Amino acid sequence: MSDASTGQKFENPVTVTIDGRAIVAEKGDMLLQVALDNGIEIPHYCYHPKLSIDGSCRMCQVKTGAPKLAIACNTPVVDGMEVDTQSEDVAKARRGVMELLLINHPLDCPICDQAGECYLQDYSYGYGREEARTASPRRKGLKRHPIGPRVVFDQERCILCRRCVRFTNEISKTDELAVFGAGDHSHIGTAPGAPLDNAYSVNTADICPVGALLSSDFHHKRRVWFLEETQSVCPSCSKGCNVKLGMFKNEIQRLVPRRNDDVNETWMCDHGRLNYAFAQDETRARDAVVRGEAANGSSPVVSTDDALKEASAKIRATIDAHGANAVGILGSGALTNEEQYHLAALARDAVGTSNLDVIVPTGEADGFLIQAEKVANARGAREMGVSPGESGKDVAGMLAAAAAGEIKLLYVIGSNALAEAVEADALQAAMDNVDTLIVQDTNVGPWADKATIVLPGQVWAEKDGTFTNHQGRVQRVRRAMSPTEGSYCDGGLFTRLGALLGGKDPAGARFDARATLAEISEKVSGYEGMSFERLGSLGVVLGEAAPASAPAETEEGSAPAEPA
Amino acid sequence: MTAEPAVVAPVLPAALRERIVAEFPKYPEKRAVLLSALHFVQDTFEGWIPQAVVPEVAALLGLKPIDVWEVIHFYAMFNSEPVGRCHLRVCTNLSCCLRGARGIMRRLEETLAVRPGEVTPDGNFSVGEVECLGSCGTAPVIQVNNERYREGLSEDDLPGLLDELRTRLAEQDAAKDEE
Repeated sequence: MSDASTGQKFENPVTVTIDGRAIVAEKGDMLLQVALDNGIEIPHYCYHPKLSIDGSCRMCQVKTGAPKLAIACNTPVVDGMEVDTQSEDVAKARRGVMELLLINHPLDCPICDQAGECYLQDYSYGYGREEARTASPRRKGLKRHPIGPRVVFDQERCILCRRCVRFTNEISKTDELAVFGAGDHSHIGTAPGAPLDNAYSVNTADICPVGALLSSDFHHKRRVWFLEETQSVCPSCSKGCNVKLGMFKNEIQRLVPRRNDDVNETWMCDHGRLNYAFAQDETRARDAVVRGEAANGSSPVVSTDDALKEASAKIRATIDAHGANAVGILGSGALTNEEQYHLAALARDAVGTSNLDVIVPTGEADGFLIQAEKVANARGAREMGVSPGESGKDVAGMLAAAAAGEIKLLYVIGSNALAEAVEADALQAAMDNVDTLIVQDTNVGPWADKATIVLPGQVWAEKDGTFTNHQGRVQRVRRAMSPTEGSYCDGGLFTRLGALLGGKDPAGARFDARATLAEISEKVSGYEGMSFERLGSLGVVLGEAAPASAPAETEEGSAPAEPA
Repeated sequence: MTAEPAVVAPVLPAALRERIVAEFPKYPEKRAVLLSALHFVQDTFEGWIPQAVVPEVAALLGLKPIDVWEVIHFYAMFNSEPVGRCHLRVCTNLSCCLRGARGIMRRLEETLAVRPGEVTPDGNFSVGEVECLGSCGTAPVIQVNNERYREGLSEDDLPGLLDELRTRLAEQDAAKDEE
């Protein structure tokens, strides 16, 4: 799609005229998609660019010169075709379709989550009748029915476009949904004992053009028009699915996928979509902590600046007593490239240790979107230099060295991820023997509770920066949440700690993501030409950003609007 | 991805399985045998299709279970719930309704004291509404099991129809007792 709207070449170009506008398109492409690619809106329900053509809703009828109106979704363009999407007979046909779709629709928009992003509402504006012509009671059906563990079904609202059926057939390939019954009794359903339960099930709620299938997680949570949406990337694995974060009063209400044909098409997995509570629940680490003799009276809670000073002192003392390689730094794959860059600099220049590596919890991959690396930016971490230096130790090596007493101080960024990534026994042995444990984490956990020093980190939703996905596509992460006042992002903690270790004033060591990316673009191979503007909304593959004169994409990207 | 059908112990009797397989040569592809197969299943299982046989029928015909369910629910002649020995399908499409099908349906429900989806306590009768049976010219129409249509009915014809069916069931029971 992104190619189709940016001055592309066609193998068999044909010229069609839509509402008097001459448009060049590929021969055989479907008229509806050609119109949408060129910014001409033709109302539709059943058509979806990533699913097979159904042709069942009849909403996209247009005049093509054929004796009857044609459905644009299934009409291939041919040279010289003249199309009228606005004439009175087209409008009349659409009004007819709308009237039939609404005959049994409950019109319970005031309590429907879809309200505000509903195609039935939108098109009613253009083609709906003011009053019904029938007095018959509306058909009754299942309401608030859990059709699967993560999707709620409202049978009365369904218009039988079959998008969800095609999704489970063609995309998730799990075949849970089908149209049951015939005629007036047709309805979407599942086979007995086989609910809608697959790793991608909530996408059916995204593509449902009405309020029939809804995300259980978002059900009756917030009116969509109160959401502030920020374009970002999912943090739950190295795929980097493009998402929008729907925010309300500084809290994430939902994640929805955002179209990027080179990454996630227009889908995301249920796990990634629903894995956001950690960003805002009571497990967030908000306080800096210093335990032991340096503790401030009875409460171990200190200012982050004081905790950084203590961390710097402990690291300095360890280096002085045992050498720099008595310090081991376990980095996080959840940090942005810009933060990773400063972590690598901190380890290499300020501490001088070669014991540096990135923690990468792994799990199942499914060959579609779900990747084995369960953090977003493991690749970026390695490319920024968060990897063992010369004769330095990796994660397992550092834990073994700590258990053996060679490493005296462990600086763990992401202790919960570490517990996920390594054997519990190896971790326990390391922690039992290490003199000083510094934990920097977004969330509390068993190791943060035991650490000498805790530095609260920030989650991806609080940051501006970039992630590099498993394919080497560098993508923008945008701040959607305001961080706790006075807290520093992980990059800010690294720059300040680096300054303290170098005997400088940490107040002068502010972290600047934009400036850091500029530095990365000069120093890290493959990142030439990368900038926030160059990455736009869809990201750029490593090595493809230079020359810097390439045209910048717009913030909105080129993907057409999709029914939510 | 999940939702693989659970492995179930075979419930298709060997004779039924053979009867389905024997149909294969009559059709260009196996999936086309589905309607016949479902009729055979209903013959074997007292007029309805138990849930447990669906994955097996699907596997036999190279289909997914959901495809079979879709067909079972599309056609009024297939029952996914137990039915009476005499299952009365009342056409409630437009022509039949204009000629009194609603009244017939109501009378049957009252007389037999069953609602659609229920079976009389003796197991003899069940009723259901169906879409057009294709006999609008002789509306209203009832079909009992797979027999020929009862056409041009009125509510007054119902006691006679039910008597006829009760007599037949009694004769069947008597014949069974003699065996």
